[in-house]
Amino acid sequence: MRWFRAACGMAMALSVSFAALHANAADKKFKIFLSMSYIGNDWQAEAANMVKAMAASKDFRDKVDLQVQVAGPNAQKQIQQINAMVQQGAQAIVVYPISPTALNQVVRNACARHVVIIAYDAEITEPCAYNVHIDQPEAGRVTAEWLAKKLNGKGNIVVLTGVPGTSVDTQRTAAAKEVFAKHPDIHIIAEGVGMWSQAVARTEITKILTTHPWNEIDGFWVQVGCYTIASMEKEAGIPDDKLKPCAGEGANGHRIQMLPVGSPGVEGASGNYRPMGQPSISYASPPYSGGLALKLAVAKLEGKDIPKLTKLPLPVVTNETVKLCQQGTWQEMQQGCNVFQPKIIGNPGWFASIYSPDTPEIGLQAALNGKPEQ
Amino acid sequence: MTAVTLGTARRATWRGLAARHRGLIVACAVFAALFLVVDLITPGPFNYFEFNFLSAGGAALALAAMGQTLVILTGGFDLSAGAVVSLVNVVLASAMGTSAVSQIACFALALAIGGVVGAFNGFFVAVVRMQAIVVTLSAMFIVQGITLLVMDKPGGAIAPEFVAFFTGSAIPNVLPAPVLVLLAGAVIWLLLKNSRFGVGQYAVGSDPDAAYAAGVPARAVLFAAYVIGGLFYGAAGAFVSAQTGSADPLVGRPMLLQVFTAVVLGGTRLGGGRGGAIGSIVGAYTLMIVVNILLVLNVSAYFSSIAEGTILLLAVLVGSLNRRSPIAFYLRLARTKLAARVAGAQASRRRDAAAAPSLPRGASIATPAPVGWVERNRAALRMVIPAYGGFALVLLIGQMTFGGTLDNLGYYNSLLVLSSFLAILALGQGAVILTGGLDLSVPWTVGFVGILTSGLIHGNDPIAIWAIPLGLLIGIALGAVNGIGVVLLGLPPIVMTLAMNGILQGAALLYCNGTPSGFASPAQRWFMTGHLGGLTPVVWFLLLFIAAATLLLGRTVFGRRIYAVGNSPLVARLSAVRVGATLIGVYALSGFCSALVGMLLSGFSGQASLGMGDEYLLPSIAVVVVGGTLITGGRGHYLGMIGGVLLLTALSTLLAGTTLPNAVRDIIFGLVVLGAVLALRERRA
Repeated sequence: MRWFRAACGMAMALSVSFAALHANAADKKFKIFLSMSYIGNDWQAEAANMVKAMAASKDFRDKVDLQVQVAGPNAQKQIQQINAMVQQGAQAIVVYPISPTALNQVVRNACARHVVIIAYDAEITEPCAYNVHIDQPEAGRVTAEWLAKKLNGKGNIVVLTGVPGTSVDTQRTAAAKEVFAKHPDIHIIAEGVGMWSQAVARTEITKILTTHPWNEIDGFWVQVGCYTIASMEKEAGIPDDKLKPCAGEGANGHRIQMLPVGSPGVEGASGNYRPMGQPSISYASPPYSGGLALKLAVAKLEGKDIPKLTKLPLPVVTNETVKLCQQGTWQEMQQGCNVFQPKIIGNPGWFASIYSPDTPEIGLQAALNGKPEQ
Repeated sequence: MTAVTLGTARRATWRGLAARHRGLIVACAVFAALFLVVDLITPGPFNYFEFNFLSAGGAALALAAMGQTLVILTGGFDLSAGAVVSLVNVVLASAMGTSAVSQIACFALALAIGGVVGAFNGFFVAVVRMQAIVVTLSAMFIVQGITLLVMDKPGGAIAPEFVAFFTGSAIPNVLPAPVLVLLAGAVIWLLLKNSRFGVGQYAVGSDPDAAYAAGVPARAVLFAAYVIGGLFYGAAGAFVSAQTGSADPLVGRPMLLQVFTAVVLGGTRLGGGRGGAIGSIVGAYTLMIVVNILLVLNVSAYFSSIAEGTILLLAVLVGSLNRRSPIAFYLRLARTKLAARVAGAQASRRRDAAAAPSLPRGASIATPAPVGWVERNRAALRMVIPAYGGFALVLLIGQMTFGGTLDNLGYYNSLLVLSSFLAILALGQGAVILTGGLDLSVPWTVGFVGILTSGLIHGNDPIAIWAIPLGLLIGIALGAVNGIGVVLLGLPPIVMTLAMNGILQGAALLYCNGTPSGFASPAQRWFMTGHLGGLTPVVWFLLLFIAAATLLLGRTVFGRRIYAVGNSPLVARLSAVRVGATLIGVYALSGFCSALVGMLLSGFSGQASLGMGDEYLLPSIAVVVVGGTLITGGRGHYLGMIGGVLLLTALSTLLAGTTLPNAVRDIIFGLVVLGAVLALRERRA
C-alpha cells in the first residue's frame, strides 16, 4: 500500500503546483473561450480565422486570453465542453451552437454563474444568451422576391435547400416558398438537398438534370450552389448571355461570375472562375459574425450594455452592386467593394461577405490567415 | 497446508476473473487515467458540481451504448440507435404537458418508441432472418423521416420537473440523478445477463449454430435483444430531452458513430459473444472526457481531431499490449522464422517429404453430372439479384413519373457518372467488409487526398501527371497504415479507421490552413464532365474498373484470400493464407479507392473542398450490404455491390427530381432498401 500512498502524495503535490501555476497566470486579461462545432467545412474555418484575428488585433490582444476549442458535430460534446469551460473559469464563451435548443440547459447554468454566453451565426434560444446573426426568413424572402421579379412572375424553378432539420434551412426555405406561393405561375419543379456544399450541389443538380433538362428550367433558388450551376451551364454549352437567373450564396467565385463579361482588372481568372455576367442575387451568413461576437463579449465584460440580439444587416449583392476589391483591406471594403481577386482567393467556394462597419479590426487577411488589420 | 491450497485456489479464481473481465478492467483503467489528468490540471478540487456535470455529460451516450451492446453481443449491428434518440426527443418535446401524469406517461412513451423500433428490427432480423445491418439501416432512414415529420426544426419544451428528475440530484450534494439512472441501467443489465436470456445472448453471439444445437431459443433471444436495446435507446432519448430541455430533430444522428466507439472501447467485441454493457458505460465516459482533456491541454482547433484520434488509439492500445497481443505474436513469429532460416529448417527446404499427394491406383472418381451455369451460381445470384431487381423497378417508376428516361442515353450517362464514386468506394469498403472489418476513414481519405492533389496541381496538366499517381500512393499508404494498426497492433477496425479519419481531417485543415485552394487540372475536369464516344470518359473508365474489380475479387489469389480470411481467419491461417498481409492489402485497397474518388470528385467539382467526402461514408457501407454482402465477412460479390450502387443512385436521382419533402424521401429510401433485400432473402433449409 505504500506505493499507493506515495502516488497519492505525488498527485496531490502536482495538483497543488498546477493550481499555483494557474493562479499566477490569471492576470488582467479576460478569459474567453470559443466553442466551435464541426470545423471541417469552408465557412467554419473562415469564421474561426476571423475570431482569432479579432483576438489578436491591437485593441484586444492585451485584453483577451482566447482559447479555441472544437466540439465536432455532436451536441452532447458541446454541452460537456461548455460545462468544462465554465469550470475552467471562463468569463465569456463565444459559441457556434450545434443546435439552437440542445444547449439551453448548460447555457442557463453558465449564466447563473455569471458567464457571458454569446452565439454567432446560428442561435441559442435560451433567453439569457446573446445572439449575433442575420434574419434568416428575410434572407429567404428577399432572394425569392428578386428571383420572382427577374422571371416576371412566371417560370419553372429548381430549389436547393441546406441541411434538413436545422432552423436556418427551415426558416429560409419556408420564407422563400411563401413568396413563390404568391406567384401562381412560378412552379418549383424539383427540390434538391444541397447541404450547404458546392460539392453536394454538383451531384444534386446533376441528378435533377437527368429528369429536368436545362430547357425546362428558368431559374434557381439555392442556399449554396450558384457558382456550381453557372459552371455546369458553361459545360453544357450555354452562352454567357443566356445564363439562367440564380438566387444564391455569397461565395467569391459566384460573385466573380456576376461581374459583367470582360470586367477590367480581374487578375487570376481561369476556367469558370471568371466574370460572365450571371444574373444573380448573392446573400450569405457573414463569417465575420464570430469576430463581432467576441468584440461584443468584451464590451459586456467591460460593463457596457449589449443587445440580446444583434441582428446583422443582410449582406445582399446584385449585378448592379457587385464591385471588385483590389487588396481587400477594411477601408477598401468600406467604400463598397464586395468581391476579391481570384489571384488572392484560390478557392471559389470561399465566402466573400466579410465586411462589417462594426469590425474595422478584421479584413481579408483576417479571413484568410487569421491576421488582423493592425 | 489447507490455508495455502485455499490461497492458490482463490488466486486462480481472481486470475480467471481478471482474464474474463480484461476488457472492462482496461476500460476502467484508461478512464481513471484520463480523469486523473483532467483533475490534476484543472484548478481547484473535484467538487460535487463537477461530478454532477460530468455524470450528466456522458449519460445519454452511455445509455445508448448499453442498448447497442445488447445487440452487438448477439452478433448484430444496430444503426437505428441515433435515429431513435432523435425521434424520442422530438416526440417528448411536442407531447409533454406540465402535469406529473403526462410526464410519467411521456417517459413510458419514450421507452415504447424504442421498443417498437426494436421490435421492427427484431422481427426482420430474428423471424425473417435478414441481415441486421440492412434492417437497421432502413429503420434508421424511416425513423429519421418520421422525426422530421414530427418536427422539421429545433424547438419544443420539456417540463422542468422532468429535467430536474433526470439531471438534478437524487440526493442533494451527494448523488447526481444521472448516476442513479445509470445504476438502474446497470442493475437491469446485470439481471438480464444472469438470466436465461443473458446466457442465450452470449451463446448466440459466440456461435449461432452451436447455440441452436444446444437448445437456446435463438430467435427469441435475438428478437429480445433488439427490443431491449430499443428500450435503452428510448431511455437515452428521454435523457437527452431532459438534458437539453427541448428538442432538435438532428440531435441523435452524430451520436451513432460514438455509440459504436464507446461499445468497442468498453471491451465488447464486434461480431458478438464477448463483452458487456458495464464496459460500454465506461467507454462512453471515456469518449466524453476527451473533450475536457483537449480543453485543459489547450489543444488548438486544427489539432483537436488529431489529438482526439490519437487519444482514442492510445486508449485501446494500452489495453491490448501484453504477452498475448498480436504484436507479440508477430514478433515471436518473426523470431521463429529467422531461427528457421538460420538453421535451414524452413518447410520449403524439406525435399524429402512427398510434395504431391496421389490417389490410390484403381480408385475411380465419379464424375459429377455437368450442371448449368445458373445452378452453379445460384447462391451468388440470390445475393446479387435483389439489388438489380430494385434498380429496374426504380427505373420503371422514373419512366412513369417523368417519361423519356428509359430510352435516353444521357440519363444513363449521368446515372453512371454519379454512380462512379460509390462504385469505386464499394470495392475498397466491400473488400474490407468481406474480411469482417469496416473502413470509417473513407470521408477524410477522400477529402485529404483531394485537397492535397488539387493544391499541388493548381489547374496544371503536366503536374497532374505525377500528382495523381502520388495521390494514389498516399491513399495506399494511408490504407496500409490502417491495416498495420488492425493487424500488428490488434486494434478493432472501427477504432483504427475512425482515429485515422480524425487525424486526416486535422491534417487536411493544417495543409490548407482552413481554405483549400487550387483547382483540378483541365484533363481531370474533362474526364468527369467531357465527352468521349457519346459518353462521359469516366463512364468508360467505370466499365473497365468494374471488370477489373470483379476479376480481382473473383479470380485472383488475393481475392480468394479475402474470402478465406472473412470466413475464418483461423482456418485461413492454417491453410497457409497470409492473414496479416491480406488484411493490410485490403485496407490499402480501400485507401487506394478513396484516394481515386478524392481526385475524381475534385475533377467533377472543379476543385476540392473541405468535407467533400462526408456524404459518402454511410452510402459506401449501404451499397455493399444492399448488394448482398455479409457484414460479418466472407460472403458477397462485387457485381452485387454494383447493383446496390445503381439502385441507391437511381433512387436518389429519382427523388431529387421531385418536390417531395425530405422526410418522405427518407422514409421511401428506407422502405426501398428493406424491400429490395426482403424480396429475395436467404431462406434457411
